[in-house]
Order: sequence, then C-alpha cells, then structure tokens
Amino acid sequence: MLMRRRWVVLWVLAVLVVAGSYLATAPQVRTALPDQVATVDLTNGETMFWAGGCASCHAAEDSDGEQKLLLGGGLELDTPFGVFAVPNISPDPEFGIGAWTDLDFVRAMQDGVSPSGKHYYPAFPYEYYQYMTVQDLLDLRGYLQTLPPVATPVAASKIAFPYNIRRGIGLWKHVYLSDAPWPQLTDPQLQRGQYLVRGPGHCGFCHTPRNQFGGLRQQRYLGGAPALEVGADGTPEGRIPNITSHKDGIGSWAAGDIAFALETGFDPDYDSFGGTMVAVQENMARLSADDRAAMAAYLKTVPPLAAEADGKP
Amino acid sequence: MKKVMTACLFSLLITPVMAEDEVPFEAQIKARQAHMSLYGFNIGILGAMARGNMPYEAEMAQIAANNLKLANQMDNRAMWPPGSDASAPGLAGVTRAKAEAWAEGSDIGEKAQAMTTAITDMAANAGNGLDAVRANMRALGGACQGCHEGYRVPED
Repeated sequence: MLMRRRWVVLWVLAVLVVAGSYLATAPQVRTALPDQVATVDLTNGETMFWAGGCASCHAAEDSDGEQKLLLGGGLELDTPFGVFAVPNISPDPEFGIGAWTDLDFVRAMQDGVSPSGKHYYPAFPYEYYQYMTVQDLLDLRGYLQTLPPVATPVAASKIAFPYNIRRGIGLWKHVYLSDAPWPQLTDPQLQRGQYLVRGPGHCGFCHTPRNQFGGLRQQRYLGGAPALEVGADGTPEGRIPNITSHKDGIGSWAAGDIAFALETGFDPDYDSFGGTMVAVQENMARLSADDRAAMAAYLKTVPPLAAEADGKP
Repeated sequence: MKKVMTACLFSLLITPVMAEDEVPFEAQIKARQAHMSLYGFNIGILGAMARGNMPYEAEMAQIAANNLKLANQMDNRAMWPPGSDASAPGLAGVTRAKAEAWAEGSDIGEKAQAMTTAITDMAANAGNGLDAVRANMRALGGACQGCHEGYRVPED
C-alpha cells in the first residue's frame, strides 16, 4: 500500500515536471503593438536595413550592389550546431514574409518567435534586434515591403540533435536571452552609437564569444571570439578580433580610424578588412557619416578587455 | 623514460630551425608580400589625406596614385605559383592565401581587373582635389577587399 502511494507521488511529480517544462519552454510573445505609431519613414527604414545587416545573410551568397536587395534567403550557415538555411524575407506572400502583419514582424525581431508560434534559433540575431525601437522596426518592415519579391523556397536547415528540438530554444531563452538595460549614457552621439552597435548593428553577435550552448559570455563583450562558422574540417574559420578599447583590441585606433575603416574598409595600417567583415563594412558604408562617427565614438568607450589566457582574442 | 622525454623536448627545440630551411616558395611569398606592402604604403599616403591626418597636396597625392598604377602594371604571376597557399605543407602561418584563389571557378581574375579599374580611377583623379581622393577611397578599399573577402585565410 505504501509502495503504491510512493509510485503515485512519483508519477504526479513526473507529470508536473513534464508539464512545467512544456509550459516554461513555450514561446513567449508580446500581445499588442503600442497604441501610438507614427507614419512609416522609409528613409529611416532603409538606414535600419543597412545598420541591421539583413542582406548579409538573407541575400544570396556573394551578392553585390542591387542583388543585396533580393532577400530570397538560401545562404547556408555552417555552425557547430548544424547548418542553418537562412529564410526568404522578401515581400513574396507565399515564400517570403509579405503576408505577415506588423505584429508578426515585431514579434519575430523582438521575441524570436515566428507567426505560427515557433521559436527561432538565435542564429537570427534577435538577442540584439530586441533592443530596436518599435518605430524603427516598423520603418524597417515598411522598407522591406518595397523590395522585389523573390518567389523561391529555401532548403530545410540541418540541425544536429539535441539542438533540433526547437522547444529547447525556450529553455535556452530562459537561461541566456538577456534583455538587461544598457549602461545609461547622456551624450547624444554616444547614445546613438550605443544603439547602433548594441541594437541593429549586432556587433557582439560575432565579436563576443559564446559558451558551448551558444549563450553569449556577456562579461567578454566585444572581446573577440572564434568564428561562428566552421570550415570543411569542422573547426572555426579563424577568429573574430577583439574590438574593445584595450591594446589587445583596437585601443590604438582613434575614433576617426574606426569611422574611416567602416567607410572604406581600410584599417590604420592600410590593410583592408577581409572575410565576413567585408559584407559588414559594405553595409556600414551605406550609413551616414554621422552614424559611423557615433558608432566609432561609442566603441572607444567599450570597457577594455585583454586577450584571454590562451593569448588569443 | 627520461631519455624519451629529453629526446622529445630536444626535438621541439630544433624543429623551428629545421622548418626554416624547408619553407616552400619562400622567395615568391616574400616577393608578393613586399608587393602588397608597396600598395599599402602608397594607399596610406592617400588615406592619410582622405582621413585628415595629412594636409592634401595635389603633387604628393598624384605621386602616390601613380605608384599604385606602376605597382599594378607589374606582371606578378611568377609570385603566385600554384601550391603556394596556406593549406600547403609548411605554409600555414607563412602565407594567408587560400587555395580557392587558384581553384577551378575562382573569380580572382575579375577581382584583379576590378582593382586595376579602381587604381586607374584614383590615378586619373588624385591630383584634382581632396574630394576626388575621398570619393575614390571607397572603391579602392572595395577592390582590396574583393580578394581579401574570400581568398585570404582569416587571422587566427
């Protein structure tokens, strides 16, 4: 009799644990847009498009010029977690996101949740886009709708177990998705730079290292990291540099050097950027000189971090 | 055991010395890196003017741009023999050139052509004022990145 009661207790506990984790990993979304939304500003939307680097992943590989406006997806990101096939975000109603509502779009960008209520993998940088203002997001949405529709499907992602259990992202979000507020700044130029760097620009996406579960190591913010993409041998394709104001980072660069590099692709030694930073620089070159100067000024204030003990950034 | 350990340590010490004699294509790699430095030095003059670190001087700007043009006119194919890439034995850390540059389907020829265009434009305009230099810096940076994007191994 006593044995039996124990079993019942265990079963009840097991059911509670399963139900609890099911609820805890459920995609969380915000329920409504703010009441007051100004009219959509397409010029600002275009600025957000380049600041956010949308084309670097959602346009076809090696796109140049006008091709960057064809957001049919199809780029495959080969990471330690598997191959992520980047989706079509062109305005095509069937294959792209043309049929989405504004609310769908804001939820995707800020909550990392799809219109059908599924978690997005954090290969999509909502860790950073969540900080964008709703107005900027709606302007961006408006701009995306003006781009040419691309009516082609993309291949399915090939994610390794256990990361292929999408619901697990719910757990990941509980542990690693931080919406902690940024340090308060008073200077308007630094505020703008902070917003561009930490919000749409998502510089930390590559320049901040992650742990083995893909969680950002925030105490190493912009301190450099192994590349997210892996080569044919399965190891990271080089390292992404430290861009803090430490001498192991870009402490020797003047703010003007940083802005010039973002504009032209030349570092202070007149070597050029290479690898994945080239596409980033091409995006940054589309911003205003004031915005590049703001990002540069803000980067100079990022707390310095020495290279980690292995001598690498 | 102790002997084995000592032998291992000793071999570690002498390995770099031995490797130094065995760098394949050493002269070719040194030559092409020197060629890159020449580009960098002259771009640096134009860049310093564009950036505001050096006052604009039409004559000096034109000299730097002419030097770029001369450097670009050099037929340097002998500096880039097939097999002298970073994946070749003994060349990791010596060169950062990727084997893809030589591979079937490589568009390195088009990228080189784009660089010639950017340099020609700079040389045609560098003496015409600071704005002209500034306007051509982006295309020049884009031309350098054309190859460095896909054909240079990222820094480790």
